[in-house]
Amino acid sequence: MITVLSRLASIRLTLVGMVALAIGAGLSYDNPAETSVWVLAAPLALLSLNLFAAILTNPRINRRPGLFVFHVGLLLICVFAAIGRLTLFEGRVEMSQGAVFDVQSVADVKQGPWHNGRLDEVVFVQGPWTVSYQPGLKRGPTRSHVSVPDGRGGWREKVVGDDKPLIIDGYRFYTTFNKGFAVIVSWIPIDGEAMTGTIHMPSYPLFDYKQDNRWTTPGGNELKLWLRVETGLNRDKAWVLDGSKATGVLVVNSGNERVELGEGESMELPGGRLRFEQLSTWMGYKIFYDPTLRWLFISAIVAVFGLAYHYWRKMAQQPWVPGDHRGEKESRS
Amino acid sequence: MMHVAEMPWLWAGLAFYAVATVLAFRGAWQLSPAYVHNPVQLLKTERLVLAAIVLGVVLLAIALGVRWERLGHGPFVNLFELLTSQLFSLGLIYALVYWRRPVIRPSAVVVLPLIWVLGTWVLMLEPKDSVFPPTYSNNWLWAHVGFGKVFLSFCLIAAGLAGLILLRSIPRFRGLFTSLSDAVLDQLAWRFMLLALIFDSLMLIAGAVWAQDAWGRYWSWDALETSSFMTWLSIGAGIHARLTYKIPVKVGAVVILLIFGLAFMTYFGTPYYSEAAHKGVV
Ligand code: HEM
Repeated sequence: MITVLSRLASIRLTLVGMVALAIGAGLSYDNPAETSVWVLAAPLALLSLNLFAAILTNPRINRRPGLFVFHVGLLLICVFAAIGRLTLFEGRVEMSQGAVFDVQSVADVKQGPWHNGRLDEVVFVQGPWTVSYQPGLKRGPTRSHVSVPDGRGGWREKVVGDDKPLIIDGYRFYTTFNKGFAVIVSWIPIDGEAMTGTIHMPSYPLFDYKQDNRWTTPGGNELKLWLRVETGLNRDKAWVLDGSKATGVLVVNSGNERVELGEGESMELPGGRLRFEQLSTWMGYKIFYDPTLRWLFISAIVAVFGLAYHYWRKMAQQPWVPGDHRGEKESRS
Repeated sequence: MMHVAEMPWLWAGLAFYAVATVLAFRGAWQLSPAYVHNPVQLLKTERLVLAAIVLGVVLLAIALGVRWERLGHGPFVNLFELLTSQLFSLGLIYALVYWRRPVIRPSAVVVLPLIWVLGTWVLMLEPKDSVFPPTYSNNWLWAHVGFGKVFLSFCLIAAGLAGLILLRSIPRFRGLFTSLSDAVLDQLAWRFMLLALIFDSLMLIAGAVWAQDAWGRYWSWDALETSSFMTWLSIGAGIHARLTYKIPVKVGAVVILLIFGLAFMTYFGTPYYSEAAHKGVV
């Protein structure tokens, strides 16, 4: 057992592991999505085992507090990063203004096998948002208003953005460039109950020339919907995209018929009436969940402190005096 | 070349770096056996080198300040800004170490020409205006950039000391540049590498926190992240190789220069290779 452990602790193996890791990182360079995770995971696993064994058996690490703390920190980073991968959750969701978060509408889900968070218990309501642009349509800060339960039966408003996520139960919701307009329409059938829904138009201003979508009425008519939206978009000047200040006309094509609807206006169709209730907006969020974030950060900071302490101790033993010949004998420690 | 307000200050700053470089070579010559060694003369030259670097730093600070005022944001976005700001911080930190640790002063004959590589490069670039990305309005940016500057400066000093070891291995220059032995130079150089590793680690931590805030992930092996991880790993591997195998001093010096080359590529090669240094920037 002891010999296996001390073999595993070999610092020659460390170098082999480091070279393998460098090769793995090189293979992942710029195309991580297409590269197998094993080119990184295998060298990291080898290095972790090697490190674990060395921490246990090698007095050159475990008798020097600074180095010991540094290497334990490194090992913890590997362990937490691995747990993080296994418990990870990532996804995207488009939230209509006024809608409550619904786990069913989360798309592009990527999740680790150990993920057992409770995304279905997350509650928040999307409010209005604004995005500032600099000249040349360079996107500036996003301010998205959301309401979250305050725990006392009421709601609390929060403003979140690209780099200020909404964090609920460990799930982080980041706003993205993917956001745009939506139309709220009602279908009032000749007989039966009226229903109201929201139709999202493509991302704005990315697809400002192509604000269209299709919808089939319960009466079986396929409608081509085109939103002519007025936002004050100006490519040459600073500008704020603000859904509450925008106006829109919904152009409905049904067969050969083409009708323009303002807010509150409606048109007759086979089987019922379509009413354009209101112009609205939607915001696309990226969802990220990794319960190890805090622990990774703490391990990394502790590791650096260990290394700094080690350096300081080393300096205290051998200050840099010109021609300090004590250093020459001991220079490799 | 565009004529913008900061350019004259930049040129003036670089001119003082050039003066410092010439003086540094004079200092090296004053150390040579051909010259009757006079410590007072040498000290005078070293003071002049320091003064010239400090003046260069001040002028570059003005150049950065003028540009900052004009554009409304710091020098963090395009290559012109990154190079100018590194020219400033490398000079500043080198001047501080030069002043407080006389033992490293002979490294100026390597360090200043290396700084001048950046100086020449920045002169070939258009000082194009840049737009501040929304994700840059984050306090972690300061920590990330600040630690990165200290890291690169220590790496540069290590490279300077390693360069001395290699220069002196050319028979013509044997015994030149400094009275320190190769073994002491080697020890000093690796000390700076260890310090560089500390600040490199801090830079990566601050960068990861910022990336988590900015793009919703702390690490995703994009070009810059991979390159900076390789640099960090190569310092660790270099230190370990030196501890595991008693590698000869000259080989160690080559390793240090390679690590510096990798750090240099990470800073200035990767943003060059892909417009958006970090993928999530746009
Ligand atoms: C993964 C397996 C690793 C093992 C088994 C390991 C083992 C060791 C050992 C035994 C020492 C003391 C050597 C001596 O003084 O003779 C040491 C020192 C050190 N290690 Fe590691 N290490 C590992 C990874 C790393 C990594 C990834 C880094 C940094 C990137 C690192 C940085 C250092 C530093 C800076 C020292 C101190 C050198 C000095 O005082 O000059 N190690 N390591």
